[in-house]
Amino acid sequence: MWSMFLLIILTLGAGFVGWLFFLWAVKSGQYDDIEGPKYRMLDDEEDAKEDDHEPKKDSKA
Amino acid sequence: MPICDHCQLEVSEKNAVYDDINGRKQVFCCHGCDGIYRLIRSEGLEEFYAKRREWTPGPAEDQSVDVSAFSESLRPAGDQIETDVIIDGIRCASCIWLNEKILLRTRGISYAHVNYATHRAKIRWDPAQIDIKTILARIRSIGYTPKPFLPKAWEDEQKKQSHDLLLRFGTAAFFSMQLMLFSVALYAGYFQGIDERIKLLFHTISFALTTPVLFYSGWPIIRGALRGLINLTFNMDVLIAAGALSAYGYSIQQMIVNGEVYFDTAAMIITLILLGRYIEAGAKGRASETIGRLMQLSPKEARKLAVTADQTGMDNRLYVALRQMVPVSSLRAGDLVEVVPGEKIPVDGLVVSGTTETDESMLTGESKPASKTEGAEVFGGTHNLYGSIVFRVTKTGKGTVLAQIIQAVEDAQARRAPIQSVADRVVGFFVPAVLIIALLTFLGWLYQGAPMARSMMNAVSVMVIACPCALGLATPLAILIGTSNAAARGILIKGGDVIEKAASVDFVVLDKTGTITEGKPVLSEAHGIGISDEQALRLALSLEQRSEHSLAKAIVEASQGLEPFEVTNFSAVPGRGIRGMIAGKEVLIGSREFIQSENIAVNLDAAIAADQRWKIIESEKAGATVTFLYHDGDLRGVFTISDRMRQEAAEAVTLLRKGGLSVAMVTGDNLNTAEAVAKKIGIEMVKAQFSPVEKAAEIQRLEHEGRHVLMAGDGINDAPALVAATIGVAMGRATDIALECADIVIMRSDLRLVPDAVTLTKKTFSIIRQNIFWAFFYNLVVIPLAIFGILHPIVAAGAMAFSSLSVVGNSLRARLR
Repeated sequence: MWSMFLLIILTLGAGFVGWLFFLWAVKSGQYDDIEGPKYRMLDDEEDAKEDDHEPKKDSKA
Repeated sequence: MPICDHCQLEVSEKNAVYDDINGRKQVFCCHGCDGIYRLIRSEGLEEFYAKRREWTPGPAEDQSVDVSAFSESLRPAGDQIETDVIIDGIRCASCIWLNEKILLRTRGISYAHVNYATHRAKIRWDPAQIDIKTILARIRSIGYTPKPFLPKAWEDEQKKQSHDLLLRFGTAAFFSMQLMLFSVALYAGYFQGIDERIKLLFHTISFALTTPVLFYSGWPIIRGALRGLINLTFNMDVLIAAGALSAYGYSIQQMIVNGEVYFDTAAMIITLILLGRYIEAGAKGRASETIGRLMQLSPKEARKLAVTADQTGMDNRLYVALRQMVPVSSLRAGDLVEVVPGEKIPVDGLVVSGTTETDESMLTGESKPASKTEGAEVFGGTHNLYGSIVFRVTKTGKGTVLAQIIQAVEDAQARRAPIQSVADRVVGFFVPAVLIIALLTFLGWLYQGAPMARSMMNAVSVMVIACPCALGLATPLAILIGTSNAAARGILIKGGDVIEKAASVDFVVLDKTGTITEGKPVLSEAHGIGISDEQALRLALSLEQRSEHSLAKAIVEASQGLEPFEVTNFSAVPGRGIRGMIAGKEVLIGSREFIQSENIAVNLDAAIAADQRWKIIESEKAGATVTFLYHDGDLRGVFTISDRMRQEAAEAVTLLRKGGLSVAMVTGDNLNTAEAVAKKIGIEMVKAQFSPVEKAAEIQRLEHEGRHVLMAGDGINDAPALVAATIGVAMGRATDIALECADIVIMRSDLRLVPDAVTLTKKTFSIIRQNIFWAFFYNLVVIPLAIFGILHPIVAAGAMAFSSLSVVGNSLRARLR
């Protein structure tokens, strides 16, 4: 009997965490561009830091 | 022929730009492309040339960026400045990659991110290091066009709504998934037996999971239902809210008496309805985003001149004191405005100096470019083709021809009645019917001597089972599949209501210029006399490639691949013809009058064979321009330049006829031209020389006769007609106004897509109707069980599952062939 209660609590907990995760994803704009990521993952980023809002160098003004 | 290493256009050896880059000899069509190639390489981004797939950039245009149009969209972000810019010209993933990389490597720019779906770039920079002008020039320098993004209020609102809808749907989905686990356990318990306490526990959990679905996710539906009831209309919301709430209330009562609960039915109805709405909003949003990108967003600015006219001298040339960009709205009658080639003329006026040709087809439907010299009238919204002109403003604001057309469009839009969807119409009958059945059930049970409570519960169970949860999916799914199938073919449909309206179309009206025809002059016939056709074309090409005239461009375009001769002593007589020497022999190209006025003793009629002469008369009658080539003492060639019909026009008309539609043509062009075109493609009904307002009136007349008209056009002059018609279709290269007015936008210049669009919308609509039938069918079949009080949650769940599957399966057929 206790194993069942445990499982019920686990499922509800997992579902709840999933829901919170979804809320976070929507709020942080993860759904704003659902086309892009599939292309971006194909870019070989030799200088991945660039996306961290930090321009590195400037070879030509 | 060599190929430009940047834009991949063919380059003639003579004009090619050669450049040594890292020891490799590269070929470019122009210095712009060379510059871009060097820029991309110097940034270490030459990978771009390997990455690009479907798109080849066009040759670089040398145009300055108009910064003032962007100033409105700047906003501060801390000590930096942020803006949104639409980047035009993006075709594939590598374009986005290139833009982001180039921007991020520019000193001062701290953030650059391009949205793949909307092509909108968010750029943040340090104003101390760089300004917007440099950034825009940077985007420009790699061959893309930045356009200002001016968020419209309704767009913001729409975004907020879709966010809200996503949250509500996602929440409903998560809770319903959890709920299903317990429902399945309860179903199993029904067959195998279940401990009373466990059953109560599961009921309680189900209740707890259903409540937020109903009252958070379902709140917009409940609110809509209340509004509907206040107005005494039975809309879809009323049906859904009644079904879900009665299932919920019934279940709470059953929970207390330890019966069977319908919480899963209540939650699933809401979830599926929200899913349907989310799908529909997405399909609509994608179409309007793409159409938004097609629009030109032309800067609303003009180049105003402060001048002093030299009245003392022999000539009356104007001496420019000051050139200044001002907003179009600040122009007053009497101001002088300069327009360079390729620009739009901002307002109406009279030409003071300069010679040019303007493309007025968008306004008038006349396909031939209008030649403008001093004293000629120019109109706002038309295109200046090849010469710089200065004109004096005569009318501004509401007085311009363009503004009058926009006014007509707005009037027509205001008259448009909203349509009621099929689903809503069916629901309008269904809800009262269900209420009557429920009432009869209640009375029947009472009459049979059942207690009040039991009769009541049976009546409510009728309401529970009658609510078709697949109804929420019936329309959106078919629309989603129909519209995405259409979009893949290059047909953008602006929304579900368009599909429902388009299904009734029985009459098609096509505009001529730009719809049936290409909308620009092309060489339709080249005929050599005494020499081969090709030789004649080659002689013409040699001279015409020096000219900027639109007719010359048609000849140059048609003779690609031919090698021109060396020309000496070239000169042009504006509006008449051109002359030059090839290998010591004189060559003249121009109108009949031009050749004859040059004192050349050639009898044009005698030089042309009788059958040719007929052809010339015919084509001149049909509005074509006939140009003559004189060389080596005799007439050597005849060229017919006209606004050529699209190749597939006749086929498209036949296809429309086969679909049982009547076809007519309406145009602002003259009757001769119109009739010649109509005859070739088999249209009998022709209305020529119609003004924009007359076009709209003609459509309205047809609509009054009970026809449902589809109007296809592309010009400003078609816009009022597009709105007046049941369905307005804008062709790909249409003007902003036409795009905005249209219900359907055709992206490729292929007229056959018009019959395709009709077929597809009709098919999608019939699938919507079938879907609605299947959504109701299973629920209706089991209503008797509810009437006799033997309904069980499993039956409800089964009806739900079967109707949803039927609807989903049937929707998949909403595609062509």
